[in-house]
Amino acid sequence: MTFTGLIGATCMFPLRLLIAISVKLRLHPNVLTLIGVLINILAALALAQGRFTLAGTIMTVANIFDFIDGKVAEELQLGSEFGGFWDSVMDRFSDISLFIGLVYLYAQLGRTDYVVITALTMMFAVLTSYTRARAESLISKCKVGFMERPERIVLFMIGAFTNRMAAVLWVICILSALTVADRIYYTWRELNHERTGATV
Amino acid sequence: MTLRQLAFLPFLILWNAAYWTYERATWQYDLLVLAILAFVWITPPAWLNDPTADGLGLIGWLRLFFE
Repeated sequence: MTFTGLIGATCMFPLRLLIAISVKLRLHPNVLTLIGVLINILAALALAQGRFTLAGTIMTVANIFDFIDGKVAEELQLGSEFGGFWDSVMDRFSDISLFIGLVYLYAQLGRTDYVVITALTMMFAVLTSYTRARAESLISKCKVGFMERPERIVLFMIGAFTNRMAAVLWVICILSALTVADRIYYTWRELNHERTGATV
Repeated sequence: MTLRQLAFLPFLILWNAAYWTYERATWQYDLLVLAILAFVWITPPAWLNDPTADGLGLIGWLRLFFE
């Protein structure tokens, strides 16, 4: 087993318990998603005040809800197309809230450079999901690039807990830009391949 | 491995890192995660002009120790 696989498997133990509790209480997955977003907004407020450890703790709780909603939907057989749509939209709300919290903090500190870096990171983070969603309306799958939402969230938490948010922002910004480029290239290649295949 | 393949190896590694097609929980994924963590934790915050970080970071501490 790989290092990251081991971490994932370890984290699954408490999460399985929470999934079981949510299933027992028959909590609707869409409500769990909404609770996750509302908690993430609190994390954004903590980030805006520069209270990183608190923000990291709140983000951890929020992302537990975000993680278990899909599993609870599966267990309760409540998975629906609207559920998927709702989850994606709420994810963007959560992501952008966190970035706005940081933009506010850096603006308060008079650090225009980091306001710009945070804004660029936010742009590429949103484009990462947009390029995949748009690509998958044209081709069957577009799952290339490293910096997807789980990576972004874990990095955000690491940055908050260890007070290294600037380094984390640089990493997310550069790797998200690369992910967007990967997805554009992959989609172009797949569409070109389809077209060439069709004419032969 | 031929000499030609060996010469192109660094470019191949760079291309594979940039054009990422690996799944999670693979050794390539682990390697990139370790590289990211090293960058985040080892780089002195002053190099990035970090507005909020405190402390020197691992490289900063090592420099201080050897000076």
